Amino acid sequence: MITIKNIRKTYQSGDIEVQALQDISLTIKPGEFTAIVGPSGSGKTTLLNIIGGLDSPTKGSVKINETDITQLPENELIDFRLHHIGFIFQSYNLIPVLTAKENVEFLMLLQKKNEQARNERTLKLLKAVGLEDQIHKRPNEMSGGQQQRVAVARALASKPSFILADEPTANLDSKSSENLLNIMQRLNREEKTTFIFSTHDQRVIDKANRIITIEDGKIISDTSQ
Amino acid sequence: MIIKIAFKNIWRNSLRSWTVIIAITLGIFGGLAVISTATGLSKMRQNNAIETYISHLQIHDTNFLQFSRINDTIPQKAELISYLNSSKLVNGLSKRIKTESFIQSAGGTSGVILNGISPDNEKNVTRIYQKLNHGNYFQKHKRKPPIILSQILSTKLNAKINTTVQCSFVNSYGESVVCVFKVIDIFQTNNSLYDEVNAFVKMEDLKAYAKLKGIHEIAVKLEDESNVETFRNELISKFPNHQIDSWRGIAPELGYADKMMNLILIIFLIIIMLALAFGIINTMLMAVLERKKELGMLLSIGMNKKKVFGMIIWESVFLALLSGPLGLLCSYIAITTFAKKGIDLSFAASGLRSVGIESTIYPYVENRFYYIISILVILTAILSSLYPAIKALKLNPSETLRTAN
Repeated sequence: MITIKNIRKTYQSGDIEVQALQDISLTIKPGEFTAIVGPSGSGKTTLLNIIGGLDSPTKGSVKINETDITQLPENELIDFRLHHIGFIFQSYNLIPVLTAKENVEFLMLLQKKNEQARNERTLKLLKAVGLEDQIHKRPNEMSGGQQQRVAVARALASKPSFILADEPTANLDSKSSENLLNIMQRLNREEKTTFIFSTHDQRVIDKANRIITIEDGKIISDTSQ
Repeated sequence: MIIKIAFKNIWRNSLRSWTVIIAITLGIFGGLAVISTATGLSKMRQNNAIETYISHLQIHDTNFLQFSRINDTIPQKAELISYLNSSKLVNGLSKRIKTESFIQSAGGTSGVILNGISPDNEKNVTRIYQKLNHGNYFQKHKRKPPIILSQILSTKLNAKINTTVQCSFVNSYGESVVCVFKVIDIFQTNNSLYDEVNAFVKMEDLKAYAKLKGIHEIAVKLEDESNVETFRNELISKFPNHQIDSWRGIAPELGYADKMMNLILIIFLIIIMLALAFGIINTMLMAVLERKKELGMLLSIGMNKKKVFGMIIWESVFLALLSGPLGLLCSYIAITTFAKKGIDLSFAASGLRSVGIESTIYPYVENRFYYIISILVILTAILSSLYPAIKALKLNPSETLRTAN
């Protein structure tokens, strides 16, 4: 369960104070497949970064399973992210010198899981995203869609409470996007992992079971479908 | 995994990594080449001096070196020689008498130090007998007492072999003595300053002319040069009324050269390490700045700062571990090859001889320098990667993910 209370984020841009988020409060329940939508500059990515502990709010709190991550010291926050939050980035952001298998395995190594557990989970996830025959390929040997599927497998590898995906289909063609969304939807059901997207993509919006719309740093609608 | 990623990371821009590796290799090679050549030069000058005229230790009466008086002969001579002969550390010794003299021939005049020696004993201590034009180390001579002049003195006096020269000096009774010698051979060492003022005669001849019973100097050659100071101290404690000097005391300029060489070596090492440090700082800083987004991603997904820091340090260590041994290996091969063959500088032979150096230099470097440089290279690599690593730690994940390429 993610509970966001009265989040406010203010940036200083030269002499001007920019209100990126204004008093946002919301709750995201386990297993949701939520899309945060809105025009560019509306505050989607800022909200996602604050939920993921990558950015701190000027005011307010973010509780993830009773832990207020805005109060955690930096090192504990990094450790919290390792165990509780999965990230999928717009430009994949895989480690270029590692193979698909090593990229997926990486977080479990940081979690100090044993080799057998790592291997089993890595192969299971790569199979789930349809890349069981690409495990020894490096990112530069794979297409954008394949790289993003590895990123999904990596995000799930650490068994996080939820996954934050910042415009995951923005760099993909329609076929790859459709494929990726189907995979994420299936994993959402099978792994019972919460997915939170920021997106412009109507296909993502169509698949989401909850849509939160933000404009000028405020939630203007929150609907379930 | 962190170490594996660090190793793979250095090959992401292999051209840059190889440039740094080759630069460090050349730096180490260049440094060691200069160090070994300079040390070889210094050692050669030192060995030439020791083996040609100084030997390891010299014993005199306490006043002799200061006043050069003919009657300042070594006291307790027999006891001293007996002690020296019985020591296992001693390889050989030579008794000498020395007289400052005026030498003249039909062709010219000069001041000279006449060294009265016993040729067989002198062979145990110095190599003058190897520096003769005709190899006549007092074996062949007729009625007139023989003398061996240096090439420089021979030219100055226009005194060739079989020429008669006349020497005048004051004997032990204070009387002026004029004596005649026949030139039987000419020597030439690598030290023209020494050659200019020294000539050799047989000890019994000079003793007779000088009416002298004692000796002025005992030159001692040890089995091992490293025992010089220990044995000197031992002799001083046994014979406190003698002046006992090591080669460093007799020719302090050689000792200074030795110390100066050590200082130069330290300066060279500092220059090499600074070049290495700046090379690594530049490379690692570029590597960090180019990978801002990736480092931000690693921090985002849960790789803690300690591990990010460690990864950058490991990358530097790998660069040093690849280039360090390569540099040391190249240096070792070059130094051992030239240590046998020598570096031929015959084009500058006369200039080198004037400062006591032969025209072929044999590079030399102590093994400890290889270890010292290996440790220094790794330490420098670690220290110089600290700044780029700290820079990486200051990255803000959300900013780098948003703004970096």
